[in-house]
Amino acid sequence: MEALGITLPGLLTQLISFTILVFVLYKFLYGPITRMLDERAERIKNSLEAAERARTEAASSAATVEQEMVKARQEGQRMIADAQEAARRASDQIAERSRLQAEEIIARAESEIGQQRDAAIEDLRREFAGLAVLAAERIVERELDVARHQELIDRVLEEGLSSRNN
Amino acid sequence: MGKLLSNPKVLIAALIAVAILFTSFLGGAVGAGLGLGFLGGPIPLIQLPAEYIVEIGGYQLMNTFVMFWLAMLVLLILTFLATRKMKDVPGRWQNLFEAFFEFFIKLAESAAGGRKGRMFLPVVTAIFLGVIASNWLGTLPGVGTIGRIETVEEFLEVKIVKELKALGASDLAKDLKKQGLPAFIEEHVGNHEVEEAITDVFAEHAEDKFVVFNGSSGIGLIPLGRGEDFKVRLNQVVQRPSDFSAHDMELFIEQAEHPRFLAGVQHDELEATDLEGARVGLLVPYFRGASTDLNTTLAIAIFAMVSVQFWGFRNLGVKGYGGKFIFNPITKPIEAFVGVLELIGEFIKIISFTFRLFGNMFAGEILLIAMGFLLPLIGIIPFLGLELFVGAIQAAIFSVLTLIFGSIAIIAHDHGHEEEHGAHGAEPEAQH
Repeated sequence: MEALGITLPGLLTQLISFTILVFVLYKFLYGPITRMLDERAERIKNSLEAAERARTEAASSAATVEQEMVKARQEGQRMIADAQEAARRASDQIAERSRLQAEEIIARAESEIGQQRDAAIEDLRREFAGLAVLAAERIVERELDVARHQELIDRVLEEGLSSRNN
Repeated sequence: MGKLLSNPKVLIAALIAVAILFTSFLGGAVGAGLGLGFLGGPIPLIQLPAEYIVEIGGYQLMNTFVMFWLAMLVLLILTFLATRKMKDVPGRWQNLFEAFFEFFIKLAESAAGGRKGRMFLPVVTAIFLGVIASNWLGTLPGVGTIGRIETVEEFLEVKIVKELKALGASDLAKDLKKQGLPAFIEEHVGNHEVEEAITDVFAEHAEDKFVVFNGSSGIGLIPLGRGEDFKVRLNQVVQRPSDFSAHDMELFIEQAEHPRFLAGVQHDELEATDLEGARVGLLVPYFRGASTDLNTTLAIAIFAMVSVQFWGFRNLGVKGYGGKFIFNPITKPIEAFVGVLELIGEFIKIISFTFRLFGNMFAGEILLIAMGFLLPLIGIIPFLGLELFVGAIQAAIFSVLTLIFGSIAIIAHDHGHEEEHGAHGAEPEAQH
């Protein structure tokens, strides 16, 4: 040991010196610098995260707007379609109703006409019967000859018709 | 090439370079063989232990301690520069250290897996910075070359004082310190204890080499020689008046009562005239690279390995970490043996740390000295670059190895499972 120059006082001196060096460097160099590095890394990480967040937010809001617009467009289209449908239905309804009304009117008119015709036919029949009876009475009262009968029937019919026309 | 040389500036530069190389070659060690060697520096005495600058009450202040404190001071200044005005947009020193710590944080987190790797960093980075600072400061000019010359007389005085104290003659030791060696020897001729002390010292240091200085240049190395004849007046040999002529020298040698010691002075290569006015002693540099002292490297290695053990115990607990080394030798003899080997391995790591750093830096220092002698002025330049590289590499190796050992120490040995298996396996065996 002596030949190598290792001595206890020398070893202790260097041990103490080196311990002081380690402590001083730890306290005044390692500590502040690593703190600085960590703080900076933290800050960079935070700002990156914030940027990422902002970007996703922007993307999501753009998507929302797009969605809203699509929805609005669909809504408009739906409303137009609804309106068209409603209008079509209304016109159909109106047409149907008017058709029904017309049919009703026609039916009524037809039934009225029928009734009137029936009534007229009934009247005519009644009148013809009466006339026939009258004509028969007249035929029976007089001598019959064809010319006179014909003349008579004609007169009756003429009278009957004219009276009916009255 | 021809084209390049036709450019007068390049030609002049090339000529100057060749001239410098030539001068350096002739002025260096090779030229010295041809009788030139005019650029030769003092021959340094290379020794493993660090040299002490002053001795204060028995404590020797080594030149390597001073260099280590200088390295600490440099690191402190850099720390101040880096953290004085901490900003988000870093200045250059802050940037340097941020990059440095960033690198080590990444390394530690990949080595230990996640954030817990950070616990190694205060020690690991301090090792890197401490080692690289001491290594690089060791390459500064003046380190190992500026110092004082400790003469043989001073050297012997210190040794004899120590010897006298060891012999229990502290009064004599005090006298010696007060009077100086020549007067002391003059006064105590025939004193048994003094004779014994001096004889011992000479016997112990007979092979020690000393440098013969001519002015500030070392011109040769001589051994101290045997000193049974302690009565020699040492100061006459090592510090002679400048008008001491060659003839005087011959007379001195003839008249000397102590031929063996003088035989040491009269080294083969040294003419008597070479010694004229010369001082003999050692260059004690005031600065020496801190990593070229085993005390420093051993201290850092001990600190590193103690930290590794501390991390191991803190992460795995006394049982968990201790269980890596200590097994029940009856139930598990092989594991117990391996555990002992592992335990020895931890101490071996200290030694390998110590000598790896010391060996590299000490060899580098010697390489620089050797190149300074072979090719003075320029030979050292490429090797300075190499030394800076080696210094950084060694710092990286030391710190990264500490990191690796630390991350190995905190890995749980699947000990619990093995113990269960062992318990189950042991029972049937016991029945046999």
